[in-house]
Amino acid sequence: MAKKRINLKISSVDNREMRLGTITSWDGSASELVEASRYEARGRKKTAGKGRGDCSGCQGSDSGERKVCRLQELKMPFNQQTMCSHAIVACQLGNLTDCILVEHSPIGCSASNPRFNQGFKIGLARRGKPIQSLQVCSTNLKENDMVFGASDRLRQTIRDAHERFTPKAIFVSMSCSTAIIGEDLDSVTAEMEAEIKIPVVPVYCEGFRSKHWSTGFDASQHGVVRQIVNKKPKKQNDLINIVNLWGTDYFTPMLKPLGLRVNYLIDMASFDEMRQASEAAATAAFCHTLGSYMATALEEHYGVPQIDAPQPFGLAGTDDWLRAVAKTVGKGDMIEEHIESEHRRIAPKLAELRKKLSGVKGFVSTGSSYAHAMISVIRDLGVTVDGSIVFHHDPVYDAGHENQDTLGHLVKHTGEVKNFTVSQTQPFQFIGLLRRVNPDFIIIRHNGLAPLAARLGIPSFPMGDEHFPLGYDGLIRTGEALLGIMAKKKFGEVLKRHAEIPYTDWWLSQEDQFILARHPEILDEEPDAGVTTENLVELGADGSSKISEANLRYA
Amino acid sequence: MYLMAKKLRQIAIYGKGGIGKSTTTQNLTAGLAESGKKVMVVGCDPKADSTRLLLGGLAQRTVLDTLRDQGEDISLDLIMKDGYKNTKCVESGGPEPGVGCAGRGIITAIGLLERLGAYTKNLDYVFYDVLGDVVCGGFAMPIREGKAKEIYIVASGEMMALYAANNIARGIERYATQGEVRLGGIICNSRNVDRENDLLRAFAKELGTDLTYFIPRDNIVQRAEIRKKTVIEYKPDAQQADEYRALAKKIAENKKFVIPKPMTQERLEEILTEFGLMESSDEYAI
Repeated sequence: MAKKRINLKISSVDNREMRLGTITSWDGSASELVEASRYEARGRKKTAGKGRGDCSGCQGSDSGERKVCRLQELKMPFNQQTMCSHAIVACQLGNLTDCILVEHSPIGCSASNPRFNQGFKIGLARRGKPIQSLQVCSTNLKENDMVFGASDRLRQTIRDAHERFTPKAIFVSMSCSTAIIGEDLDSVTAEMEAEIKIPVVPVYCEGFRSKHWSTGFDASQHGVVRQIVNKKPKKQNDLINIVNLWGTDYFTPMLKPLGLRVNYLIDMASFDEMRQASEAAATAAFCHTLGSYMATALEEHYGVPQIDAPQPFGLAGTDDWLRAVAKTVGKGDMIEEHIESEHRRIAPKLAELRKKLSGVKGFVSTGSSYAHAMISVIRDLGVTVDGSIVFHHDPVYDAGHENQDTLGHLVKHTGEVKNFTVSQTQPFQFIGLLRRVNPDFIIIRHNGLAPLAARLGIPSFPMGDEHFPLGYDGLIRTGEALLGIMAKKKFGEVLKRHAEIPYTDWWLSQEDQFILARHPEILDEEPDAGVTTENLVELGADGSSKISEANLRYA
Repeated sequence: MYLMAKKLRQIAIYGKGGIGKSTTTQNLTAGLAESGKKVMVVGCDPKADSTRLLLGGLAQRTVLDTLRDQGEDISLDLIMKDGYKNTKCVESGGPEPGVGCAGRGIITAIGLLERLGAYTKNLDYVFYDVLGDVVCGGFAMPIREGKAKEIYIVASGEMMALYAANNIARGIERYATQGEVRLGGIICNSRNVDRENDLLRAFAKELGTDLTYFIPRDNIVQRAEIRKKTVIEYKPDAQQADEYRALAKKIAENKKFVIPKPMTQERLEEILTEFGLMESSDEYAI
């Protein structure tokens, strides 16, 4: 019997690096990354229950299955950071309407919560839910708690949260400090669950657990599937789980023709909405980076099939996604007609937008698989895309389903992205990477990137509502919004004249933004010693040998 | 005429667990106190048994117990007791076994001692008696944060004691290159191993330091310990009491402070083989 991909017996999650082979630093073309990722080989191993993100394909032998073959990445000697897994858990499990998240940490670990609170309220308003504040408490640990242990303080915080807010469940997140002193979350949460008679769920998301924050998504979902969902589900055949964030409810009109009701997970969900996740007819995600873990866990442990398709963005993506949904819920016979009619419906408007946006060059910098979808969307609108930055890259997703290979789907259906970079919100690289492509606009979702683009006079399209570009209507919505963004180009140019970029001329003159990874010896040079090409060994995107024109120009 | 300000010497004693650091520290501080020096001993071990012989038993509450029960607003005399010849005795203590962080506790305890004014101008010496296995950064605190500037490593002719001593030298080397901490020497607490004196001298030389003193094994130390006393207090005229006095004098007069040159594993094993602690690989041949 194949080993399950998701182990719900233990309370902690393997990080993404271990499960999926996630990388955070890479530069090359999209097709090169598709090739290096070997999604198919990794997926085969996952579906056979043998894989943890490593690839058996390149070993070419039976024994290869046991060997680890990692997708190589550039080792940067310097990195900037904006978030960690712990913060992600706060903006997932802290965003539930009738549950509480207790952050077992010093108060500084809660510093992002005011910003998350704003996002939570906006999200609730979008969905028409009553506005409320973030549901997060902190154990507010001090030095003595570190020395003597903080379990009593955690017990008290759980009791206080239960008494004051009467939540339906309490989640407890581990932080770096409590992980270092080895706080026994499993025991304390089990003990408190017996005492207060509601689920008390440990969530292991200390920042150093993973180099990428997306492990926090998995840790949150692990806790929900392990301890919240109904363990004796009563099937609801018209219910589809959508793993998402705070977007507007565009999925309901899209899925209504298939007779499906949407169960959004887990941001802004109630306890009961999370509980019924195991009863749904299927699970899909707006983005596989986010939803892969939960969809696979529900599929393996509760028989809720996940949608084996890319994401519902752009024409080809939406077509394939709808086909897969229809097939899963047994409505495959009517879907082709529906797709055809939808294409006909938007065709005039799409043609008009394509005409207006022809010749415009766009750039996408968002989370990994969402970026793949966004590039498809704007390419469908006639926009040229020859550059993108994603914040990490998963060479495979948890299920290993071949049709979920979003980057492969992008390249196959819309063509090459010449400059495709994996860089985890690194402002010091962002300027150079944008200049390399010099786009007319940029699509972003994360804080701090719009001002950076603005310094170069590039207008930003902040895709705060991640569902905005969804489906056929989303394509039209995005096109119309883009026209508005492009109208601000002049303003951007004026702004650029008054803005300064806080980097040295030396750094700004670098065409290779990963030169510190390829040539870390530069850091040992005297500031004005200069470096010549003579002593530089050229290395490629993944550290292998490859002549880089940018490096040859570096002298 | 200017009076020269007294220079406080802060000394940390490290070594493998069970090697006799606490016994050696207390006996040598008794020797220093007997000669009129003002000494404070800070036990940096959760077991809190570093000052037992000076105090005649586990007489005082630890810094961390007091901090936990009464908070920071306490007076120094709650946690500092006078021991033999007015040695000032403090135990940092630690959390319950298996919870919290004892290493951080050392940092907290020493910080509190400073805030409460334990480091008075009339002190000549502060000794830190540190947990045998330096398990994390907290236990390196006495040397890391510029507290102790002199380190002595207690060792014996046993193999594991020398492995541990070499590892400690590695830690000292790291901090020494960034700060003022130096290795003062190796103290041999003899286990009556063959050629022990020669081995310890060779080991110290390889590290770039000296064998500060060779303390012979004598059961009087155990007899004194049973009576909760240092040898100097228990039998002032015993030969072993003179040995500890001589050690105290050596430390008082020591001027050689070095950045150690820790050995590679291979080199350490070569020395051990040379002195008969390990068999050479030839002897394994069948």
